[in-house]
Amino acid sequence: MDALGNLLLGFSVALAPVNLFWCFVGVVLGTIVGVLPGLGPAATIAMLLPLTLKMDHTTAIITLAGIFYGARYGGSTTSILLNMPGESSSVATCLDGYQMARQGRAGAALGISAIASFIAGTVGVLGLMLIAPPLARFALRFAPPEYFALMVLGLAMVVFLAGDSMVKALLALLVGLWLATIGTDLFSAESRFTFGQAKLLGGVDFIAATVGIFAIGEVLVNLQSRAGGEIVKLPRGIRNLLPTLQDLKDCRFAFVNGSLIGFFVGALPGAGATVASFLSYGLEKAVSRHPEKFGTGVIEGVAAPEGANNADAGGALVPLLTLGIPGGNTTAILLGGLILWGYKPGPLLIQEHPQLFWGLVASMYVGNVLLLVLNLPLVTLFAQILRLPSHVLHPFIVGISVVGVYSVNNSLFDVWLMALFGLLGYLMRKLDFPAAALILGLVLGDVMERALRQSLMMSQGDLAIFVNRPISATLLAIAAVLLCLPALRWVRAWRSEAVAGEG
Amino acid sequence: MKRFRYSLPVALAGVALLLPHPAASQEFKPSKQIETVVHTGPGGGSDLFARAIAEMLQKEKLISQRMQVVNKSGGGPAVAMAYLAEKKGDSHTIGFYTGVWVTNPLTTVEATVTLKDLTPVTRLVLEPAVIAVKADSPYKTVKDFIEAAKKNPKQLNQSGGTVLSRDNLMRLLLQKATGAQWNFISFPSGGERLSNLLGGHVQMMVIEPQEAGEQIRAGNLRVIATLTEKRLASLPNVPTIKEQGIDVPLIPQARGMLLPPAAPKEVIAYWEGVFDAFVKTPSWKQYVEQNQFEDAYLKGAALNKFIDALKDQMREVLKEAGAKVIR
Amino acid sequence: MRPGIRDRSGLVAALCLALFGAYVTYVGSNLAYVSDVGPGPGFFPFWIGAGLLFFACYQAIQSMSAPRRQNQSAQPSWRGSGRALAGWLAMALSIFLFGWIGFAASFVLLTIFFIVVIEGRPILPALGIGVALTVIFHVLFVITLGVSLPAGPWGF
Repeated sequence: MDALGNLLLGFSVALAPVNLFWCFVGVVLGTIVGVLPGLGPAATIAMLLPLTLKMDHTTAIITLAGIFYGARYGGSTTSILLNMPGESSSVATCLDGYQMARQGRAGAALGISAIASFIAGTVGVLGLMLIAPPLARFALRFAPPEYFALMVLGLAMVVFLAGDSMVKALLALLVGLWLATIGTDLFSAESRFTFGQAKLLGGVDFIAATVGIFAIGEVLVNLQSRAGGEIVKLPRGIRNLLPTLQDLKDCRFAFVNGSLIGFFVGALPGAGATVASFLSYGLEKAVSRHPEKFGTGVIEGVAAPEGANNADAGGALVPLLTLGIPGGNTTAILLGGLILWGYKPGPLLIQEHPQLFWGLVASMYVGNVLLLVLNLPLVTLFAQILRLPSHVLHPFIVGISVVGVYSVNNSLFDVWLMALFGLLGYLMRKLDFPAAALILGLVLGDVMERALRQSLMMSQGDLAIFVNRPISATLLAIAAVLLCLPALRWVRAWRSEAVAGEG
Repeated sequence: MKRFRYSLPVALAGVALLLPHPAASQEFKPSKQIETVVHTGPGGGSDLFARAIAEMLQKEKLISQRMQVVNKSGGGPAVAMAYLAEKKGDSHTIGFYTGVWVTNPLTTVEATVTLKDLTPVTRLVLEPAVIAVKADSPYKTVKDFIEAAKKNPKQLNQSGGTVLSRDNLMRLLLQKATGAQWNFISFPSGGERLSNLLGGHVQMMVIEPQEAGEQIRAGNLRVIATLTEKRLASLPNVPTIKEQGIDVPLIPQARGMLLPPAAPKEVIAYWEGVFDAFVKTPSWKQYVEQNQFEDAYLKGAALNKFIDALKDQMREVLKEAGAKVIR
Repeated sequence: MRPGIRDRSGLVAALCLALFGAYVTYVGSNLAYVSDVGPGPGFFPFWIGAGLLFFACYQAIQSMSAPRRQNQSAQPSWRGSGRALAGWLAMALSIFLFGWIGFAASFVLLTIFFIVVIEGRPILPALGIGVALTVIFHVLFVITLGVSLPAGPWGF
C-alpha cells in the first residue's frame, strides 16, 4: 500500500536522533504550557518561530506540532486537580474530573485522561494519515447551515447537563449566550454590551471567564468552611492512583466517541477543540446508562472530552496540510511557520514535500507514545499537589489563575473580569445553577449566532436552507430527537407524580 | 572663606556638565527589549508580518535589541491603539498598523484613539487584492460574474471579513459602478472564507494573491481580475479591473510601523534610519516578492499626506456604504 | 402548604435574572432587529433577554410554591459566606494594587491575608509561604516563560 511505504519513509525520518530529541522537547514543552492556564500553545509556538529558522524544516514542524498536541495532554491536569482549566479545550474535563479528585480518585482521572488522550491522539494521526484528503473534501461541504445545526445539536446537550433543575440550566445557558454577544457584531460593526469599554470590543476573554467561574469560584466556596487540612484525602499506594480495569471497561465507548468526534470536528475550520470536547461529553452522557451521574465524578465524563480534544489536534492538521487552510489560531501560526520556512501550504504540499508530511505524521505517533509514557508516572507526582494543605493551595490557585489570565493579553482588565466571574461562579454554586450550562452557552453561542446569520444571508432569509441541505437536516433531526426525549420523560414523571399526589 | 575658594570653578564645571553638549549624542539607541504591538492574535496577518520583520531586522543586524511581539487583539485595532496611546513617551514600544487602524475610529464609538494621535513613522507595503472564483465556476471574467449577478440579484454570495473590511467596501463600490447586487457573508477567519469558496457555498471572494497562490497552482481557484493599477507580476495574464472596463477607486491595504503618541524626535529618527536601510536589504526584497506585496516605502510628510488622503477616501466610501461615520 | 417563601435565595436570584433579562431585551430592541441581510445585531439579544425574563419568572414562582419533591434542595446555607466574601474582596484589592506595588508584593499580602485572617494561622509561616509561592511564580512565568507581570516601583 502506498500509505505504508510512505509511513516507513516517515518513520525513518521521525526516528532520527535529532528529530526524536526535538519531538521530545516539543511534547514536554507542550505539556507544561497546557498545564498552565492562560499561556497557550499558540503563543508558545509564535515565540519559538525564530528559533526554528535555524533547524531543519521537518525537525521544526515536528517540534511545533509536538507543542500543539502536547498541550492537549497537559490541559487536563489542573482541570482535574484544581478545577482550573489549563486550556479552553479542557473545560469539559473539569466537570467530572474535579469531582473525581474530590472523591479521592484524582489518580484514576489523570490516568484515564492520559490513556484516552493517547488512544484518541493515535486515532487522530491514523485519520490524518489515511483519510486526510477525502475528509478535507467532505469538510468543505460544511457551510454555515451545517455549523448552525451542529451548534444546535451541541446546545441540545444542555438538556443533558441539566441536573436537577432544567429551568436553572436554561437560565445559566441564556446568560452564557448573552456573554457570547458582548463585543463588536461581525455583520453590522455595531458594539453590543460593551458598556463603553474598548477592551470589551473583542468580547469576554474565554480563559478569564472559565478560570474565574471554575477555579476562583471553587476557592471561594472552599473558603466558607474553616475545615483546613487537606482538601481531599488522597489514597495511599500506587495501585489506587491509576484507573482500574473496570474503569477502562467503562470507558470503552468514551474512547471511540472522543476519537471520532474530536477528529471530525477538528477538521472543520473554525469549530475548535472546545466545541469538540463539549460535543463528545454531551454524546457520552446521552448514551450513558446513568446520565444523571454525570457531573458527580463519572470516569467516562473525563475520558470522552479529553480524548476529543486530542483527536481534534490531528483533525485540525487535516485542512492545514491538505488545503493550506488553518482551522484555528494555533494552526494559523503553524501555517505562518511553514510560510516562513519557504513552503507554500496548499493542496500540493503533501505531493511535493512528502518527507515533511510523512515525517510529521510518523513523529506524531512517536509523540503520543512519549506523552503517554511521560504522563502516566507523572500522575502520581501531580496528584501529590492535593496533599498540600488548603491554606497553601488557595493562594496557589489564585496566584496561578491571576498570572495565567494576565499572560493571555498582558491585560489587567482580563484579571478583573476573572475576579468578577469568580464571584459569579461562587453565587452559581450556592444557588445551584450549573456552571457547565453557562460555559456551553458561551462556547457555542458565538458560533451559533454567526452561523445562523450567515445561513440566512446566504438564503436571503429563507429558513428552508436548514432542511434542504442533507447534512444540516440530519443534524437538526438528531437534535430534535434529543430535545424531545427528556420532555417525554418529564411529562411522564409529572403525570405519575400527579397521580401519586392524588392517591 | 577658604571653604569657598574653589566653589566658583566647581559650580561652573557643574553647570557645564549639565548643559547639553553638542558633541554628546542626542541619538537614541534602544537599550532594552522593544515591545512590538500588533492588533491580531498570534498567527494573524499583522502578527506574522511583525515577526517576519523582527526576524529580518535581526538577521540583517540592523537592530541590537530583541523585538518582543505583543498581541493586543479585540475590536479590530481598537484595543491595540488604546494600549499604544497609554504608552505615550515610552521609547521602547512600537506598533505595526494596517489600513483598518484608519477606518476603525471613524465608525466605532469606543475607538477613541486615531492613527494621527499615534506617531506614524513609515509605510512599508501595500497589499494588492484580486477577485477569485472557483476554478470550475462559469465565470471567466469579471463581466461574466456581473452579468450573472444582474440576472439573479441578491442570489450570488461573496465571502469576506467584517462589513467595514476592504472586501465589503470594494463590493459596495463595484455594486455602485455596475448596478449589480450580490450578498456579502462575513467570516471571521481567512480559512473559513477560503473553505466556503472552495466548497461552492459562496461564488467569489476578494483575496490577497499570496493567499490564493497555492490554490491557483493546484487548479482550485481562478483569478478573474486584479484590484490594482497595473497587472501583477505573478499573474501576468489576469487583467486589472480597470482594463475590464469597470472604473472604481481602489482601496489600498497599507502596512507600516508607528510609535506611541508624542514620540521624541530622536526616536523617530532612529527608526527612520533603521527602516531606510532595511528596505534596501535583500531579505526584505525577497520577502516582498514572496508575499506578492507592493514595496511602498513612505515616511515623514509624504506618509502623513497618504494617511490624510486615505482617511478622507475611507470616510467617503463608508458614508456611501451606509455606515455610521462618527468622526 | 408550607407558609412563607420556600426558597428565598432562589427567589432573589430569579428576580435579579428577570430584571437582567428585561434589560437585555431592552438593549436588544434598541439594536436593529432585522437588517437588510437577515437577523440584525438585536435579534439574538432580544430573544436571549426574553428567554431570561420568561424562565426567571417561572423560577421565581417555583421558589415561592411548595416543594414538589422531598429531595429538592431547600435554602442554601449562607454560613461562611462572610469568609468567602472577605477572600474575594482581598483578591480584588490585591488586583487593584498590582498597578501600584507590582504583582509580587500584592500577592504576598494576599497570601498573608488568606492564611492569617481567613484561616487564622500564625503570620510568620504565612509570610514564608507567600514569598515561596511568589518566587515559584516568578521563576516559572517570568523567567522561564517570558511572561511580564506588573512590576512595582522596585522592579518586580
